[in-house]
Amino acid sequence: MPLKIRAAFLLLLPSLALLLALFLVPIGWFLWSSIAELGSWAEIMEEAEAVLLSGAVGGALLNTGWVGLVVTVLTLVIGYPVSYALSRARGAAFTAILLCIVLPYFTSTIVRTYAWMVLLGRNGLINQILLGLGLVSEPVNLLYNRTGVIIGMTYVLLPYMVLTLYAAMKAVDPRLMQAAEGMGASPATVFRRVFMPLTLHGVVAGVLITFILAIGFFITPALMGGPGDIMVAMLIEREVELTQNWPAAAMMTVVLLAVTLSLYAVYSRFAEPGEAVR
Amino acid sequence: MTEGSVALEGVTKRYGTETVVAGVSLAIAPGEFFTLLGPSGSGKTTTLSMLAGFVMADEGRVMLGGQDMTHVPPRGRGLGMVFQNYAIFPHLNVAENVAFPLTVKRAPKAEIAARVAEALEMVKLTGFETRYARQLSGGQQQRVALARAIVAHPRIVLMDEPLGALDKNLRYHMQVEIKEISRRLGMTVIYVTHDQEEALTMSDRIAIMERGRIAQMGPPREVYENPDSSFVAAFLGEANLLPARRDGQAVAGPGGARFQAGAGALASAEGLLFIRPEKVTISAAAAGEGANTLPGQVRHTSFLGNVVRYAVEVPEGAVVLCDAANGAGAVLHAPGDPVRLNWRAEDCRLLAA
Amino acid sequence: MTDLIRLNRRLLLGTALAAPALISRPARAAGEVIVRTPGGTYDDVMRRHVYEPFTRETGIVVRPVAATASKLIAMFRANNVELDLIDTGDGQLLTLERMGALAPIAYDKWKWSKAEDIIPEVRNERRVANFVYCTVLAYNKDHFAGGAPNSWAEFWDAGKFPGPRMLADMASGSPNLEFALLADGVPKDRIYPIDVDRALKSLDRIRPQIRRFWDTGAMSAQMLSDKEVVAGSIWNGRLQVLIDRGAPLAYTWNEHMIQVQALGVFKDAQNAQGAQLLIDYMLQPEVQAKYSKDLIYGPTNNRAFPLLTEEERARAPGSPTSRQTGFFQNSVWWEDNRDRVNRTWSRWVQR
Repeated sequence: MPLKIRAAFLLLLPSLALLLALFLVPIGWFLWSSIAELGSWAEIMEEAEAVLLSGAVGGALLNTGWVGLVVTVLTLVIGYPVSYALSRARGAAFTAILLCIVLPYFTSTIVRTYAWMVLLGRNGLINQILLGLGLVSEPVNLLYNRTGVIIGMTYVLLPYMVLTLYAAMKAVDPRLMQAAEGMGASPATVFRRVFMPLTLHGVVAGVLITFILAIGFFITPALMGGPGDIMVAMLIEREVELTQNWPAAAMMTVVLLAVTLSLYAVYSRFAEPGEAVR
Repeated sequence: MTEGSVALEGVTKRYGTETVVAGVSLAIAPGEFFTLLGPSGSGKTTTLSMLAGFVMADEGRVMLGGQDMTHVPPRGRGLGMVFQNYAIFPHLNVAENVAFPLTVKRAPKAEIAARVAEALEMVKLTGFETRYARQLSGGQQQRVALARAIVAHPRIVLMDEPLGALDKNLRYHMQVEIKEISRRLGMTVIYVTHDQEEALTMSDRIAIMERGRIAQMGPPREVYENPDSSFVAAFLGEANLLPARRDGQAVAGPGGARFQAGAGALASAEGLLFIRPEKVTISAAAAGEGANTLPGQVRHTSFLGNVVRYAVEVPEGAVVLCDAANGAGAVLHAPGDPVRLNWRAEDCRLLAA
Repeated sequence: MTDLIRLNRRLLLGTALAAPALISRPARAAGEVIVRTPGGTYDDVMRRHVYEPFTRETGIVVRPVAATASKLIAMFRANNVELDLIDTGDGQLLTLERMGALAPIAYDKWKWSKAEDIIPEVRNERRVANFVYCTVLAYNKDHFAGGAPNSWAEFWDAGKFPGPRMLADMASGSPNLEFALLADGVPKDRIYPIDVDRALKSLDRIRPQIRRFWDTGAMSAQMLSDKEVVAGSIWNGRLQVLIDRGAPLAYTWNEHMIQVQALGVFKDAQNAQGAQLLIDYMLQPEVQAKYSKDLIYGPTNNRAFPLLTEEERARAPGSPTSRQTGFFQNSVWWEDNRDRVNRTWSRWVQR
C-alpha cells in the first residue's frame, strides 16, 4: 500500500537529517572553503584547469574507469550464478553460501587485502602451487599490477553484486518459472525468456552500484596495484594528506562526485523494479 | 479415442514421513470436465502437480492420452495450464504472454499470430494485445491466463483454483465462460478448487479428496445427494448429521424416534443420520404424525430471502437445520414455536461416524 | 566498510571534525598534555620511557592521540586546536609552521635539556627534532650471496645485480628522487635543489626492475620479507625489526638519507606550557637514549650517543660516525616543491 508522501517524508526525516549533518554539510563546507581559498573566479578556473587537465588526473580517471568496468563485469559474471544458487538454496546450504560471501566482511578491508597479498605474491601460495605443478617455470606476477588490483577489487565488491542480484532474483515468483516449464519451455528457455528478463533490473542496479563503489576505491588499489595503477581516490588522498593542496583535492572530488551522482541518477531509474520491467 | 483421456493408477506421493497423496486412482474420459475438490491439505494440488509433471509420483502411473507419462518432465506432456494467481509474465505483454506456449515450440510466426488472435477473441480480450499485466483487472488477467492455456489447442487443460482471486459476481461469470470454452473446444479439463459450489456448477464429475485419498467420486448430483461418508456430506453444502444407529430395517434416532432410510443406505450399524436441510419439511406441531418425523422447537429463524432457514432443537438436544422455500403463502415459524419435521425415506442415509 | 566510505571519512575527518567539536568543546583535565603521535608500538615505547616518568616527575598526564596531517590543519583552520604537542615528520611541522600554527620552542626555559646539545641541523625556532631515522639501501643476503649493491649507482645496475626491487612512492611522503640523482652521479652535497626531470629520467632507467613503489613502512617491510623484492630503499627501523627477527636481510650505511621527526607546539594549545615542559623532558640525554634504543632511531641530543653501547651506536641513524656516509633530507626543499613533485610524479608513474 503506497505511503502518503508526507508520511514517507516523516519516516525518512531522521536519516535525511543524519545525511545532511554528517555528509552534505561537511562535504559542502570542505568543497566551498577549499575552493574559496584560491580567491577570485579567474584563479579558481586557472587552478581547475591546471589540476584537471594535468595528465595525472586524466590518466587516473581513465585508469579508474577501466578498472571499474573490468571489475564490474567480473563481479557480474561470477556473481550471477552465485546469486542464483543463493536464491535457490534453502536452510543449511543457504546459510553456508551466505556466510562464504559475508563472513570475510567481519574483518577490515586491509586485513582481507593483506590476505590476498599472501596468496598472490611471487612466493605466495598460488605461485608455489603453479611452480610445484610445473605449470609455470617463473613465478607469475599476480600482485602489484593491474591483475592484482582487479582480483582484489572483484573480491571486495562481489558481495555488493551478489546481494543486489539476490534481492532481484528472490523477487522473481518461482511459479512464473514453473508456469513457463509447464507451457513447454526447456530449462534453458525458462532462464533466457523468463528468469533473465525478470532479473535484468537487478543486473543494472548491481552493475551501477558496483561500478560506483569501484571508482571510489582507494585501499585495494593502493595496496595491491603496481606503480601505474593510480585511481582518482588515491590522487585525492595525496592532495589532502601529502601536499595539503585542498583546492586541488576539492576539484577532483567534484569530478568524482559528479560521475558518481550521474551514475546514481541512472541507477535510481532502474532501482524501481516495476518501472524497470517496462 | 484416447487422445484426451487421463488416468492415475495408484499414485502416491510422500514428503518425508508424510503421505500427501495415497494411492489415488481415477480415469477421466476425453472431453470430460473433472473437478478435484477438497479442503486445503487434502492432496488435490499435489495430485494436479503430478499430472502436470511438476511433482514426480513415488508410486503408481500417470497416463495422459493413453501414454505413460509418469517420468516425463512437464514440457513433454503437452498440457494447457491455468495457474493459481495466473502466473502472467510481467515483462511480456498480453499477446506475448498468450503466444508463449507457441514461441517456445518455435511455431511459425504467422501461425502464432493467428492462434493468439483466435485465443484472445475466445476470451474477449481482442484489443488488449499490447497491455501489461499490471494494466489489467483481475478478471482480465484471468482471461489472459485462460487464453494462454488454450492457445496451443491442448487436448487436456489443468486449472488450479483459477477463480480463487476473483469476487463472487465475476467468478460466476467466468465459471460460465470456462465451461463454455471447454465445451466448444472439446478439451478435457481437470479443475482444482476448494469451492464446493463452483465444483457443483461446472463439473461433469467431482472427486472429493480427503487426506490424500479420494473420498468419493461421481456426478455432482450423485455425490451431493448420496454421500458415502459424513465427511463428504458435510463438505458438500449443508448437512444435518444426527446421532443414530441401525435397528433392524429401520434407524433409531434422537428420542427413540424410528426412521426409514433410503435403499442401500444402511451400511453402518452405528453412525450418523444424514439429511440435507432443504429436504426437511417443517410444519406446525399440530399437524398429524407420519413416517420419518421428529417433534422440535424453533431456536433460530434466519430469513435469507428466497429461503427461510430454521434451526430446530429436537429431543436429546440435537439441532436440525431446515430450509423452507419462501413460496406463495409460506408461513414463518417464530423462535420458541413447537414444530414437527418430516422427510422422505429416500432423502436420508445412515453414514459411518 | 567500503573504500568509498573510508575515503569520505578521511575527507570528513579533515573537515567536519570541526562541526561536532564546535558544539561541545570537550572538557579537559587540567594537568594533561595531549600529544599527536604516529601510534602503534611507538606509543608503547614512549609511554614507558617518556610519558610515565614525566607524569611521575610533574604530575602532568600525557595522552597520545592519532591525527593525520589534514586533521591537524583542519583543527588549526577551524580554530579548534584539540591537542598541544605535535610529534610528527619535520615536513608536516614545517607546513604548520608556515601557516602560523606553531609557537616558538621555549629553549630558554629548559631545565632538563640544554639547547646547545641538540644537533644544530635539527634545532629550529619552532620545531625541534626528537629523533632521526633514515632510509637505507637494503638487500636480501641470500639473493646477493656473491656480492651486494653498495651504492645507489650499483642499485641502478640491474645487469650486475639482477632481481626485482622497490623504491619509495610519493605517497610515502617523498619519492626517492635523491637516490635517483646519486645513481646518476650527482654528489651528495649537490642533491638540493633537486633537478626533478633529471631524477625522473634516472628513475626511467631502473623502473622496469621496480616491482612496486612502496607507500607505507609496513608495505616496504612486507615486500622485503616476502621476497617480493630482493633490494630496495627502506626505513632503518622497519628493516632492523626484520633483521632482528632473523630475516636474511642486510643494508649499507653508504648514501643513506637521514630524515627528521620533530616536535612542535600549537600556538593556541590549551596546555602550551605542559607541552613545552614535555619537550624539555623528552630531549634530555638519558631519556632520548632509552627510547631511541628501543625504536632503533637516532638521538638528536649529542650527549645521548655516549650513553649507547658500541653496537647500539653502530645501528643508530644520525650518529657522529654514520652521519659521515649519509645526508640530511632537505625538508624545506620538499615543503616548497611537494605539490609540484606530486603532480609530476603522478603523471610519470602512470606512464
